[in-house]
Amino acid sequence: MAVGEVGTRPRERVRGRGSRTPYLLIAPAVLAMLAFLVYPMASVVYYSLQHYNISKPWENGFAGLDNFTRMLTADPLFWQSLGFTARWVLVEVSLQLVLGLALALIVNETFVGRAAARAMVFSPWAVSGVLTTGIWVLLYNPTTGLSRYLADLGLMDYGAAPLANPDTVFAAAVLAELWRGVPFFAILLLADLQSIPRDLYEAASVDGASRVRRFYHVTLPHLKDAIILSTLLRAVWEFNNVDLLYTLTGGGPAHQTTTLPLYVASTAVQSQEFGYGSALTTAGFLILTFFSVAYLRLSKFGART
Amino acid sequence: MASRRWLTAGALVVTSCLALAGCGGDSGSDGTTTITFWDDNGGPARTPVWEHIIDEFERDNPDIKVKYVGIPIAQAQQKYDTAIAGDGLPDVGGVSTAMLANLVARQALEPMDERIANSSLDGKLSEQVVESVRATVPDEKLYFVPMSTNMGVFWYRADWFAEADISPPASWDEFYAAVEKLTDTGNNRYGYTIRGGAGSISQLLEVLYGQSGIDEMFDSSGRSTVNDPRNVAALEKIAGLYRKYTPEADVTNDYVKMVAQFDGGNIGIMQHNLGSYTDHVKTLGEDKVGAMFVPPAENGSRTVTSHPVSGLGVFASGEQKDAAFRFAEFAAGKEMNGHWAAETGVLPANTEAADLEGLAHITEATSVLNDPETRLVQLPYYLPEFNAITKTDAEPLFQKVLLGEMSAKEFLDQMADKLTDAQAGYEQRNGG
Repeated sequence: MAVGEVGTRPRERVRGRGSRTPYLLIAPAVLAMLAFLVYPMASVVYYSLQHYNISKPWENGFAGLDNFTRMLTADPLFWQSLGFTARWVLVEVSLQLVLGLALALIVNETFVGRAAARAMVFSPWAVSGVLTTGIWVLLYNPTTGLSRYLADLGLMDYGAAPLANPDTVFAAAVLAELWRGVPFFAILLLADLQSIPRDLYEAASVDGASRVRRFYHVTLPHLKDAIILSTLLRAVWEFNNVDLLYTLTGGGPAHQTTTLPLYVASTAVQSQEFGYGSALTTAGFLILTFFSVAYLRLSKFGART
Repeated sequence: MASRRWLTAGALVVTSCLALAGCGGDSGSDGTTTITFWDDNGGPARTPVWEHIIDEFERDNPDIKVKYVGIPIAQAQQKYDTAIAGDGLPDVGGVSTAMLANLVARQALEPMDERIANSSLDGKLSEQVVESVRATVPDEKLYFVPMSTNMGVFWYRADWFAEADISPPASWDEFYAAVEKLTDTGNNRYGYTIRGGAGSISQLLEVLYGQSGIDEMFDSSGRSTVNDPRNVAALEKIAGLYRKYTPEADVTNDYVKMVAQFDGGNIGIMQHNLGSYTDHVKTLGEDKVGAMFVPPAENGSRTVTSHPVSGLGVFASGEQKDAAFRFAEFAAGKEMNGHWAAETGVLPANTEAADLEGLAHITEATSVLNDPETRLVQLPYYLPEFNAITKTDAEPLFQKVLLGEMSAKEFLDQMADKLTDAQAGYEQRNGG
């Protein structure tokens, strides 16, 4: 009896302490998530149900679903900005994927100067967003930019401003964002390309598969999960893109490059309509959540091929 | 042992909280008081001017230290909003009538009437400026110490005018003729630049009312005059210059891009205000820059729009209000206000402000403002919706007008409806 008691007490103590330890260890992370994720999200949902404009405090109060009704039925700018956001995400993610994959395939080959080529391909990713837009603003500026020098050489007329022209502003903004976004795909896909066993390619070659067939039947299936994950991540980032478009075009001219987050920023920050701005943010959150879940399900992410 | 660890952790948390809460002023153990001052237009042009004023103030008041925090002008309103919500306002800060209605609605500012009446500033501040500040709030109190006001100016390239052998325009017809004559697109020269991006509407209103000669924002029934047919005609005329005599980039021009074009040597005439004088002179040289004011309308009267009055506000939540007011009083005093106006190129609020004789454009601006023939259109900064109407709503629509996607009348009708509604709401709330 005494021996048994002596034998079980330490184990109980260990078990007792052990059962609390995991909770203590994850407590900081849980607290951080509650403070920096759950609370802000709950706060946005709360304010989306309020009339809350700090410059008109006499109108503040519970709004029910008024903000959402206004958004869906009486605000053409919501639909316009949502439509532009969808177009922006689709064009950006598709082009970044195709060009990033092409670059990854090139720098995955063995050639003289490969290290320098890889460094050049990846370098735009290391440049901060605001600096990137600063560079492109100067390039597009008719006083200081490329068009000025081309006009000096007599190759075009003075005054061309791609960011001010409704016919060119979308392409100009897409190009600037491509410069920053392509390296993301190139880095991610190159890492995955290097994990494809060489003997798969050798076996395919022995079976007479051409380079194109090897790409479609060996490379692409192997990259599937990386492509799904990277396109999903990039789609979310592009949806929420504020820095580049805000600095480059400010959403203009005439709302032509206003994404939903830019519209939220002007509604909440400039017009100080925090209630309506919160409703727009909630809508964006729900759209992104639905898109992410549907995309992962439809693409069968993680399933064996 | 465990309790000591908890004590240490607790002490750390308390210290951190105190550090975070250290936005306002405090009294040091050596008897000095430290006040925090937020400059609402911090940057390379204005920060050195404030540093000089602070140095002079601290020399005169060794018992007060001023902690300077510079905030870029584009973020000032947002910074104040966040600070009000988080109870982190400074003791004293730069305030203008453009943001006053919002700050007063949230009871963030201390009224200054009594303090000014008992100070060295009593009777020294321009009545016109003081009235302009009072008119911005429903209770007509003076919620900040005014330091300066501004006035719309057309900066022009004096050397281009000399080359073209023309005089600065004395009428709107001459203005349009000069814009046409100065344009030479083949050599990258444009007669004029339109501000089509951020901040466009206040400048637009100045050229509309300047051409139409209408001198009230609202008629006797409370209806906005912005869509009066004379203003519509004026807008059609000015928008007609776009891309013909102005650069294509104008549609998205904010202040920085507009000035870059003018100072870069591509523009003959640029509309802004007195505040950009130092930038132009620094880049182009004094002899190449001239200033002219809004030409008279067809009815013969010169009509200018009011510009925001700037000054220093003492915040109601501050614990060092006396020290904060002493700083504001010092900055608005004769010497410092003169220095401020001379360095930043604006009109001083202190009527005794000195050292401005060498600045011809300030002397001329003062005489234009004091001319009995000049009509002043008071922009309704008192409307809480004014910023949203003229920035968020109207700026993109004005771009549509420039791009030919919307008619001038449709644009001005929309803006007039919103201003009329806002004015009606204001009058209803304040028993007007």
